[in-house]
Amino acid sequence: MIPASVQILHWSHYVAACLFALGLFGFLIRKNAIVVLMCIELMLNAVNLILVEVSMRSGHPEGLIFVIFIITVAAAEAAVGLGIILNLYRAKGTVNIDAFRELQG
Amino acid sequence: MDLTELSIVSIKTLLIYVAFIHVVPVMIWVERKGAALIQDRPGPNRVGPFGLFQPIADAVKFLFKEDPVPKEVNRLLYNLGPFLILLPSSLIIAAIPVGDRVEIFGRDVLLQVADIDVALLFFLSISSLGVYGILFGGWASNNKYSLLGAMRSSSQVISYEIPIALAAANAVMFYGTFSLRQMVLQQEGVILGFLPNWGIWFQPIGFLVLFVALFAETNRLPFDLPESEAELVGGYHTEYGSMKFATFFMAEYINLATASALLVTLFFGGWHVPWLSDSWLLLKLGSQNLVALVQVSMFVAKVSVLLCIFVWVRWTVPRFRFDQLMHLAWGNLIPLGLANIIITAILLYFFEGR
Amino acid sequence: MREVFFMIFSVFTVLAALGVVVSRHAIFSAFSLVLSFFGLAVLYLLWGSSFVAMLQILIYTGAIVVLFVFVVMLLDLKKEETLDSAKTGPLVLAGVSVWLFSLLVLRALNRATFFKSTNIEAASDMKSISTLLFSKYLWGFEILSVFLLALIVSACVLARAEHMERKADQ
Repeated sequence: MIPASVQILHWSHYVAACLFALGLFGFLIRKNAIVVLMCIELMLNAVNLILVEVSMRSGHPEGLIFVIFIITVAAAEAAVGLGIILNLYRAKGTVNIDAFRELQG
Repeated sequence: MDLTELSIVSIKTLLIYVAFIHVVPVMIWVERKGAALIQDRPGPNRVGPFGLFQPIADAVKFLFKEDPVPKEVNRLLYNLGPFLILLPSSLIIAAIPVGDRVEIFGRDVLLQVADIDVALLFFLSISSLGVYGILFGGWASNNKYSLLGAMRSSSQVISYEIPIALAAANAVMFYGTFSLRQMVLQQEGVILGFLPNWGIWFQPIGFLVLFVALFAETNRLPFDLPESEAELVGGYHTEYGSMKFATFFMAEYINLATASALLVTLFFGGWHVPWLSDSWLLLKLGSQNLVALVQVSMFVAKVSVLLCIFVWVRWTVPRFRFDQLMHLAWGNLIPLGLANIIITAILLYFFEGR
Repeated sequence: MREVFFMIFSVFTVLAALGVVVSRHAIFSAFSLVLSFFGLAVLYLLWGSSFVAMLQILIYTGAIVVLFVFVVMLLDLKKEETLDSAKTGPLVLAGVSVWLFSLLVLRALNRATFFKSTNIEAASDMKSISTLLFSKYLWGFEILSVFLLALIVSACVLARAEHMERKADQ
């Protein structure tokens, strides 16, 4: 198991913060709907990393269970999201999210 | 980890990998001879005795052929394709226990690259990465037949991962561990007085599901839809030539070897000699290293039998249609696997001693 | 050893994630996503939770990203917008807000009390995970299974929308 002397692993929530920031940044900036979905996956993974760290540092397996739940929900989200993107592409012939602004009024 | 241990581990790893890589030339010869036997023709007989040096001739041919790169392909992904498919198939070898242990310089060395505690999950997850080689290779070739092959392959591999995972879940429930080594250790000895204590007697449905699904996972006939040459020219590797093409073939044969090794490990007692226990062997032979030698030969023999069955099936069963293939996975194998899990759970509940 | 691996793979993961955001073509984003998830799995392994690491590779890289790649290949995405096509104003705004947000999150994390104890053995044990999953979180587990069923139905409906329309026309 992990010796207590290995403090460097305790930096992993900074890695998670970087991942989350990159995911959020891509989510706000990118126009390709598929890449936007990928960025959501990145953010979910950042949360997973934090949960693993919390769980391993506190000794409660609860965090790992939430990781399993998050992975399942992420799979669901990706499948439905990609189905929606396929339909959007059928409707307009593009997946650029700027093309879909009918709801703006 | 001191220097002796490090060198022992590296030599062991190297030996196991080299042994698995050498399945490729042997399988090329066996496949050609097996095809010839089934189709009633002589097969390769010019290069060496019984055409035994045919794989070497093939390799030399592949090495010296021109390596064409089609126009307007995505260079990076095109070149990456063959390696992305070879890498996972050779990574899997690390999880497979080929023997119990040997004693070198007074140290116990496990005959397995790594005794991973989640070895079965490792096998599943790494083998699911192989699809990227096919996908990227097929897409980057800029050829509609390649793309169609890649599409078919990815849907096939993803669909058949589910029955494999169900069969694996069964094995995990039955043995109560994820470690392949622990699973093999539980299959020692005799049951009912005359049967070797193999997993297949306890998990026949699991074996059936895994066996069929592994054919699809390794893209072999009758499930070689991704490369069906009559429909798709050559499938995902249409545009590849020379060593890149050979790499796809190497990956296919290494996949075959690891698939057979997994079947042997889960259902046929792994390295155990049928009917004999390890302690009895140790008593008769007197040395742990000799026992290990017998065990490894037994493992190789079992894997070879399964590989021959793979070749036999390839040249006897015609190819499935794509909708039949999908129906087999979603309509037959997955319900069968799920039912098997329920039955196993009920039986385990009543006979918890096992 | 562990330190070196941690440094290599955390940098690798972040660089790959950067690749997802800045890649020109969606397929390279997907490829970077694979690399990034792989690096994350190594980080989980370093934390000692091999089960989650294997789940990460099996489900994320083995299934979810394959779906992404599949869709990218199905759609004929010739003209690609890139990062430099975005206007500077939104770019800077997004950057600053993301930076502030992550600072906030990090501050909250560093003040949290659950980082204090160090009973690592209990958490990584697969038996304790599964016991908890099938006792305390059983309802969550069951709801998740119903959720997955709903997902399968909705994904089928979405993917066959064209087919449905044709039926409605008849």
